[in-house]
Amino acid sequence: MSPTAKILVVEDNLDESKLIKMALEPEGYEVVTAVNGKEAKEKIGAEKPDFIVLDVMMPEMDGFAFCSWLREKSDYKNIPVVLLTGVGQHIYDTRYPLKGVMESDADEYLEKPIKPEVLLETISRLLKK
Amino acid sequence: MSTGSKDNCWEYMHCRCGPESKQPCPAAVDETSNRINGGRNAGRICWTVPNTFCFSKPRGQFVEKREICFSCDFFCLVKKEEGSSFYLFKIAQGVKGTHKLHDTITQMEHLFTIHERLRSHFDLTQTLREITSDARRITGAQRSIVFLLKGDPPALYGEFKLRGGMHQVSINVDNSSAVGYAAAHNQVVNLRDLYKDSGHLNMSVFNRSFDKQCNCETHSFLAVPVQDSGNRVIGVITAANAKKGYFSADDEWFMRTYATEVALGVEKQKFLHQSFSALRLASIGETVAGLSHCIKNIAHALQGSSYIIKRAIDSNNMRDIKAAWEILDRHIVRLANLSLDVLTYDPAAQRGEIGTKLNELVNHVVKLFQEEARARAITLKMQLGEKVDPCSFNARGMYRCLVNLITNAFDACPLSEGVVTVSTKRTGEKELMLSVSDNGRGMDEKSKAELFHLFKTSKVESGTGLGLPTVADIVREHNGRIEIDTKLDKGTTFYIFIQEAPSSSSPLTDSST
Repeated sequence: MSPTAKILVVEDNLDESKLIKMALEPEGYEVVTAVNGKEAKEKIGAEKPDFIVLDVMMPEMDGFAFCSWLREKSDYKNIPVVLLTGVGQHIYDTRYPLKGVMESDADEYLEKPIKPEVLLETISRLLKK
Repeated sequence: MSTGSKDNCWEYMHCRCGPESKQPCPAAVDETSNRINGGRNAGRICWTVPNTFCFSKPRGQFVEKREICFSCDFFCLVKKEEGSSFYLFKIAQGVKGTHKLHDTITQMEHLFTIHERLRSHFDLTQTLREITSDARRITGAQRSIVFLLKGDPPALYGEFKLRGGMHQVSINVDNSSAVGYAAAHNQVVNLRDLYKDSGHLNMSVFNRSFDKQCNCETHSFLAVPVQDSGNRVIGVITAANAKKGYFSADDEWFMRTYATEVALGVEKQKFLHQSFSALRLASIGETVAGLSHCIKNIAHALQGSSYIIKRAIDSNNMRDIKAAWEILDRHIVRLANLSLDVLTYDPAAQRGEIGTKLNELVNHVVKLFQEEARARAITLKMQLGEKVDPCSFNARGMYRCLVNLITNAFDACPLSEGVVTVSTKRTGEKELMLSVSDNGRGMDEKSKAELFHLFKTSKVESGTGLGLPTVADIVREHNGRIEIDTKLDKGTTFYIFIQEAPSSSSPLTDSST
């Protein structure tokens, strides 16, 4: 575990983003948030996060687009990313097919509803790699 | 009538597509129509030939081009020149022309009627009934039945009317009956006397018993196979007892056409059935998936906040408990709203009491929202129109509409100086208007187009995506309409126009109660 790691949470739902922040901070992580891929792009240079928690469906720039952009940048391509997704979403909204999640450049994906313990374990595991 | 003395179409039209040209028109080379109406090949009956080159463009089948043909100068000329000997269409080969103009037109009209019917009917039984009725009239038959192939092993099933009631009959696909024979061999069976001429067929199984049921005797009998687009037999159309004593080659031609119509009807029915099933499944699938997505998001927030609360209790962190509790509370309300919206999304659940005072209802709902408006620094105004009451509307439905629209307007309002106005107006003798406007963020065309889609919401923390579809359904119940006036960063107004429900016998009241 890397208690001093900085985590960027990209999530348009402010309640969810706040809950993730509240779950991570007591574990020693520093948390910064962005409401979509576009804002995350603007913040990443200054914040230099060690890990990214990324929602899929967001306005302006979604999780897929942000992840693809990230992997093309030499400075950020090695940052571990975990995608937060919901299966219902992939059936309901054809813009976000399950195939897109499987083939995305994220290191792992978690399906909502996500237990905070599982998210913590995933972050800790991917940071150790 | 000799050829050469009268113009053929290519001569009359000067199209240079005659039989000797490099690229002759299909009408110029159709030898099977030679001499009809005194022309060379189909030169004077060109309207029956598919894909002729008229006006330098292939014109399609007769049914497609008939409108153009019937108003064509050349068609009118031929009709005039031939008088009572005019042939509107090519009769079956080898049959001497007994069709006079009047008969021919009558028969063609029948065919067109069937085409029209096929276009309009959704009910196959009705289509078949009308086809057999026309087949009877045209061939002068006493009876006509359509048999369709069904089941495993396949058998032919037909329906016929007898003594006021509908009866069903099934026949095996084999040589034991004329109908079975026609299906088994994919062949037309045309007999002058069913029992005498059957020869290799044994008619006792079907026709004798059928005759007994009908209390009549079959003489002349015509059975034509119905084929699908792959030439597979899917049924048989029959005609029995021609008035003239036998079924001519012309009758055979007609019955083949009817067989094609039956096949088209069956295909159309199959297509419609598949389309409806696909639509229904897609609709259910989308609803369930959308609902599941919505519930998962709520569950996600509930799970997260309950984790934080539990941990904060252990560490006695009141700040975290309070923050997570607020989120938990909000999502419990969202869950409650979702279940309420799902419940009320069923229009039947909205039916019930008829309201008579719309202004009073608006006044009541606006009062309910005043406190929330103050808390959110929103000015909530009311402009009640004159002569609105007394009126007649679905009270529960309109209440739900108002609550949904005001909630949406509040959520759209800016953080300060938000203004929401609810208005009513009588816009017709039986028409009322209700409007809710805000000075909020407005909508772009894309958001406006998605407004009434199930589970589409712009409010990620609180919306269920069911509010406006519910409003739309309630308005539809009132035979009304919704108009939306919106400008980005200026605000939105929803206008709802409803037709008053007619007092006690209102269609809005649940007839099952």
